[in-house]
Amino acid sequence: MLHCLNSNASGSEMTVLERQRATIKWQHNNSHHQGYSSSSSPSPSSSSSISLVQVQSSSPTCLAAGAWPKLDNNFLMGFTSSPSSGFPLPPPPPPTTSAASFDLNSAISRTSSCPLPSLAEGKETTTPNNKRKTDKFHNTKVVASDNDNKDKRVKVAAPNDSATVGKKGTQACGDNSNKDNSKVSEVQNQKPDYIHVRARRGQATDSHSLAERVRREKISERMKFLQDLVPGCNKITGKAGMLDEIINYVQSLQRQVEFLSMKLAAVNPRLDFNMDDLFTREVFPACAASFPAIEMSPNMANTASYLHFNSSQQIDAGINPQDISLRRTISAPVSAPETFLDSSCFTQTLPSSTWEGDFQNLYSVAFDQARAASFPSQLFTGLLEPSNLKMEMEMEM
Amino acid sequence: MRNQRSVKQEFLRKWITGLRRYSCDEKKNMSFLERKKAIKLSADIAMASTRDKTTRWSQALIANASSSGDTLTGSSKNNSSRSRKKMLMMRRRRPKVKSAKKEMSASCIAKRLAEKRTRKLKNLLPGGESIDEGCLVEETLDYIESLRAQIEVMRYLVTASQLIINPYP
Repeated sequence: MLHCLNSNASGSEMTVLERQRATIKWQHNNSHHQGYSSSSSPSPSSSSSISLVQVQSSSPTCLAAGAWPKLDNNFLMGFTSSPSSGFPLPPPPPPTTSAASFDLNSAISRTSSCPLPSLAEGKETTTPNNKRKTDKFHNTKVVASDNDNKDKRVKVAAPNDSATVGKKGTQACGDNSNKDNSKVSEVQNQKPDYIHVRARRGQATDSHSLAERVRREKISERMKFLQDLVPGCNKITGKAGMLDEIINYVQSLQRQVEFLSMKLAAVNPRLDFNMDDLFTREVFPACAASFPAIEMSPNMANTASYLHFNSSQQIDAGINPQDISLRRTISAPVSAPETFLDSSCFTQTLPSSTWEGDFQNLYSVAFDQARAASFPSQLFTGLLEPSNLKMEMEMEM
Repeated sequence: MRNQRSVKQEFLRKWITGLRRYSCDEKKNMSFLERKKAIKLSADIAMASTRDKTTRWSQALIANASSSGDTLTGSSKNNSSRSRKKMLMMRRRRPKVKSAKKEMSASCIAKRLAEKRTRKLKNLLPGGESIDEGCLVEETLDYIESLRAQIEVMRYLVTASQLIINPYP
């Protein structure tokens, strides 16, 4: 791009005006490529006060070297660092930068060496079109305007990478930016250095409040997820009400866990959850609906016959010798083989798991703790003993 | 988000392993409450380990469970204590803004209500006291999902065990 500009000017010193015109032309061409029709609008039409919001992705050092005394450090901080290619020769537009930003880069590169007074002169003598351009150059950015707000937003947000402006820059940019023509769109830079946020219309452009707004939006986004997860949250809109629902739900879930563990303890007097026994029963039709997530093991074919039951068969082949006493006839046939959980898969996969060592240590400690704990409610235990006894008797029959 | 199926399977596997191990070690008969506590503890640990220590609540759960001071779990405990310290440091860096004036504006009331509730939620979550508010919602999401999976698996086991005893409902 620089080369073509050079050729235009025949290598001699271009006036500011010519430079501006060349840049506009270049902008024009480029914007056509990228579909930024709005960027070209300043040149043909002077009526609309449209101008682009553009991003700087140049290296801060080059900007600092340029004649932009008004820019403070915060403005520079709002910029991300450029890709590794050097600044003076802007690289062919990388996919990360939009056309608008690129051309502003070049504009800066052209004008960085030119002193301010000449710019000021150029300002007064140029036509309205160019005057706007001068302002743009002078201020190093242009703020999107109100008329085509929606279009702007779409266009600005369309490219993958940011077309945002540093927030401090809006303050530094005297004339244009302080109008209420500031745009809203929160675009995230591809590089995770900074999150560029644009100030909303009529809202503070303070960095603190902007950061807070980002935070709040993040939180509200996640609250939406929670709304889907927690049943009955659709009608509630306030944050406090939602939190209430969430708290109730979490509490109820925790209580359910407690209750279920109690139930399990009551059902199993010896805490021996025997997988072979558990999975050879016809439990699957009963809880197939509730637990369809169990996968088939790869050697399903071998065990299909083992697990499949007829209506009046007794299981003796697969029963663990420990549970010989638990023989029962199977009444209901097993429905879907997909819900069978192969007990052998447990024995196969367990030794290969990597968390084994640490996990077992954890368990040993945890159970020591559990054993050592004292239970003050002896009465409770007493009440449940008869029921346990009854179950044990049943099991021995 | 995650593959629910694999998560449930993993949880079940880990839980049964832990319980099995425990039942092998423990020969004597346990009281009902002891059993219940063992079941719940093993279930919680299994649930937390399915997250592979990627979430704060799982770390805190495991840390709490192993905080009985055993040297066997020294490594995991050190990790958790270090992360806990980090969390506390983070918390100190964000001091609570104390309002000197007693403004009874609607926004203030709303804010106070929300604060109360977030505090309550933090107390509910394991290890939630020192969680950043931004991450709180994420952690809650994760925790709710895991709790749900845990409940489903437990329910399944309950029905399975019940059917063993009583095949003729």
